[in-house]
Amino acid sequence: MTVHQKNLRTERVQHGLFLAAAALLIAVGFAFWGTLGWGTLRFFLQHGLNRTILGLRYHPIQGEFGLLPFIAGSLSVTLIAVVLAYPLALSVAVTATMVLPHRWLPAIRQTVGSLAAIPSVIFGWWGLAMVVPLVRKLGGGTGFSVAAAGIVLAVMIVPTLSLLAIHAAMRVPERWVEGSLALGATPDQTLGRVVLQSIRAPLAEAGIVAVGRALGETMAVQMVIGGQTFFPHNVFAPGATLTSEILNDIGLLPPGAFGHHVLDVMALLLLLAMYGLVLLVERIGGREIG
Amino acid sequence: MKGTTWHRLAVVGSVLTIAVFGLLLGDLVWQGLPQVSLGFLWKTPSELSSLGGIGPELLNTLVMVGAASAITIPLGLAAAILRIEYGARPGFLLVFDRMRYTLLSLPTVVVGLMIYEWVIAGMRWPLSVGSGIIALAVVNWPFIVDVSVAALSGVPDSFREASLALGATKYLTLLRVVLPSALSALVSGVGMAIARLMGESAVLIFTAGINVSRHWGWSAPGETLAVHLWYLRTESVAPHADAQAAATGVVLLLLVGLVLYLTQKLAHWLKPMDT
Repeated sequence: MTVHQKNLRTERVQHGLFLAAAALLIAVGFAFWGTLGWGTLRFFLQHGLNRTILGLRYHPIQGEFGLLPFIAGSLSVTLIAVVLAYPLALSVAVTATMVLPHRWLPAIRQTVGSLAAIPSVIFGWWGLAMVVPLVRKLGGGTGFSVAAAGIVLAVMIVPTLSLLAIHAAMRVPERWVEGSLALGATPDQTLGRVVLQSIRAPLAEAGIVAVGRALGETMAVQMVIGGQTFFPHNVFAPGATLTSEILNDIGLLPPGAFGHHVLDVMALLLLLAMYGLVLLVERIGGREIG
Repeated sequence: MKGTTWHRLAVVGSVLTIAVFGLLLGDLVWQGLPQVSLGFLWKTPSELSSLGGIGPELLNTLVMVGAASAITIPLGLAAAILRIEYGARPGFLLVFDRMRYTLLSLPTVVVGLMIYEWVIAGMRWPLSVGSGIIALAVVNWPFIVDVSVAALSGVPDSFREASLALGATKYLTLLRVVLPSALSALVSGVGMAIARLMGESAVLIFTAGINVSRHWGWSAPGETLAVHLWYLRTESVAPHADAQAAATGVVLLLLVGLVLYLTQKLAHWLKPMDT
């Protein structure tokens, strides 16, 4: 056997191993879909449709599984977080790429990247130490609220969002900016009509990534939102999100217990939401697929 | 200078952001650092006094993150190599990409629920170090695939073409040309993955548990630093649980910072001269 034939044989083996790894990842993904789908199916067979997703009362021991409070909680917390974080992240990106000298950019990216690695429980700790008392002063009540969760999440996603925005802004060619300034546009006009205009797609994609992180965060939210299963009627009311409620109830509803499959339903909703966001990013075309 | 209003607003926003993070980190270090001592680092935690430590949690964090990384780095790199270097039918790659992005953005508490249903309830494993490692591995895998894909895509195609034109097989090209060129980016990406894994907690609460045993072992409960911080701040009745939580947070941050610093240094050192 020549060296070349030996190499070819090694290559076939290697190719097979790589293919197996990729196939295993896909299999794990399908196992998620399968387990959650089967759990959801069993939930509906067991409890029927009516007292479930569209209900306002959640009392699993009594067979009431209204998920609207958690869906509302998840959506409002995510909305508050993204609305608060987006302007801050854009500010950081504009300051880093257009105001400060360019030689600082690597250091800024390094710093922002490190801040993005701060564990979420530390944001939760900070939320308990500072944000909850602040919200208590502003809005009354205990301070454990949808608003507190939104603020903590906003701070948590700022570094990730800033990093994506900086990467997007760095893609704008220097000569476009110079051209615009040379034509007599003010820096503001250049920023609005050249820089931001040309990176709309990556900025939208960054927003979607931020929505995904906010929607999926568990710990930081669970620590400050109060964990109430009632429908949160205003932002200063305590509530719960789909993620924080799953965490609270795994212990209460272990597999085999009456009503355990409601957790599968909540998890499937989150999985569907994330899949939707992936398809949305694909549509915008920020990532290359296929 | 006229027409710079938005730029000024951006600077104000940045200062605000810096102030918020300054408050966050400052408060944590201010409350936590006085509690950190050598004894705190190796003693076992105590619910009865404020003299406990975080020794077992530190050990669990290092072992579990290490083992989960050891499992997922080869698996993730292999899947990324297939995606970038070898390719497959477009349909397969589309499913692969959608699946890995979905798994990457999936809330880790959902992964925790799955591991709980499969491993704890299905296979009858205890809440333990072992179950925790599996949970962390499932969380980490798509992330490793992501950073590996990014690192491999960063290698210019001309490198591969040159190697193939010289008569090397695909496998030799991968081994001798592509992987060495991508090594720096791989190391820095893996560093980020490990840092992220160290702070992971939602997936571990119901797979590794929220306490530690007197005897360390594969099937002993495996509370990590991040979980301990959560536990201290939400459930614990120990005196000065607040300050201990802050101290745990400081140690966790130092650990994450150390991992990031070392991997960045290594990545910088490995960087090829010509790119």
